[in-house]
Amino acid sequence: MNRYECLQSLLPLITDHLVVTSQSGQRIEWGSLSKHEGNLLLGEMGAALSVGAGLALALPKRKIVVLESDGSVLLALSSLATLANLEISNLAVFVFDNGAYSGTRISEPTATGGRTDLETVARGAGIERSMTVRDLAGFERHAASAMEGKALSFIVCKVQESLLHRDIPRPDLDLLENKYRFVRYLQQTEGRLPSFIGRG
Amino acid sequence: MEPELATRLVTSLREAGIDFVSYLPESRLSQILPLMRKDHGFKLAPSASEADAVSIAVGATLGGKQTACYMESTGIYVSCYQLLVVALHLRVPVLLLVSHLGGFDDQRNSFLYSLAGRRLIPQFEALDIEFKVLENGNHLEQDIGNAVRTMNALREPVALVFTGDFTV
Repeated sequence: MNRYECLQSLLPLITDHLVVTSQSGQRIEWGSLSKHEGNLLLGEMGAALSVGAGLALALPKRKIVVLESDGSVLLALSSLATLANLEISNLAVFVFDNGAYSGTRISEPTATGGRTDLETVARGAGIERSMTVRDLAGFERHAASAMEGKALSFIVCKVQESLLHRDIPRPDLDLLENKYRFVRYLQQTEGRLPSFIGRG
Repeated sequence: MEPELATRLVTSLREAGIDFVSYLPESRLSQILPLMRKDHGFKLAPSASEADAVSIAVGATLGGKQTACYMESTGIYVSCYQLLVVALHLRVPVLLLVSHLGGFDDQRNSFLYSLAGRRLIPQFEALDIEFKVLENGNHLEQDIGNAVRTMNALREPVALVFTGDFTV
């Protein structure tokens, strides 16, 4: 199983969901697959979990999907304890765990390429609905369940390292352009804008 | 901090439109937490790290909340990366409520805190985050209102740094 296959399977499940990605491979691949206005493609590692949590708390009737990587989650392990204790029910987290820092171009192993198991870490942090999937059928089953469920889901997707993201076009949406498109989409669908918009 | 000052601080935040506060508790302004918890005008998000708290506030702001992030001075060091690459990079306003633990006017300063306190202001300057130091509550309501208006105008985090009377 590779990340792109998983994202292709996820694509038809996304309707009015908000999708937050961290850097890097999942950002590029999801940005290529989906032009959904509810995508927020963050430009860094270590923040998508918490940004997604903030959205989930602000919009409790909306399903938030976070697309993460092992390296990014490892950079923000405190976020797991934070999320577990916020009683968020509308957040589904997919961690594409290839056990390597693919962005380094020399495939340095991450801790999950060694002894660390993110499902166990998440469960220990208090996220009860933590699981690991290792094949596409399992991914599709758990993804559908997570999208419909009313509990915080943390799905570690064990994927092969893939360099596909180096070959497909990178998203050309500037971070600020993305932000404004995202909040305008929320204006259309939620009927409200953040307080920093519209005061010209 | 005197209870009356804590009450004024919480009331001022609510009246300035703040309706979401992420935080890691600390020792100087902590009286505001039970007051905010009792006030249904605030959604609170306790965090295990100030780094989480900043990113949570950014997400909540994008989701339509008017947010504040409460922490002590050391939290700015912890959350520096998130402030830079999330809040500043995306240009998202968040009101940073920072107790100046270890600062010159910190009434409970000690050798444990002074190093972090001394370098807080240069940290804001390095991040190019607008800030104001409040030593007392003489203009508290006005200062909080000004900070919220400024952060929305700048589309960036703005900090209020609490010292002096707030650290008693």
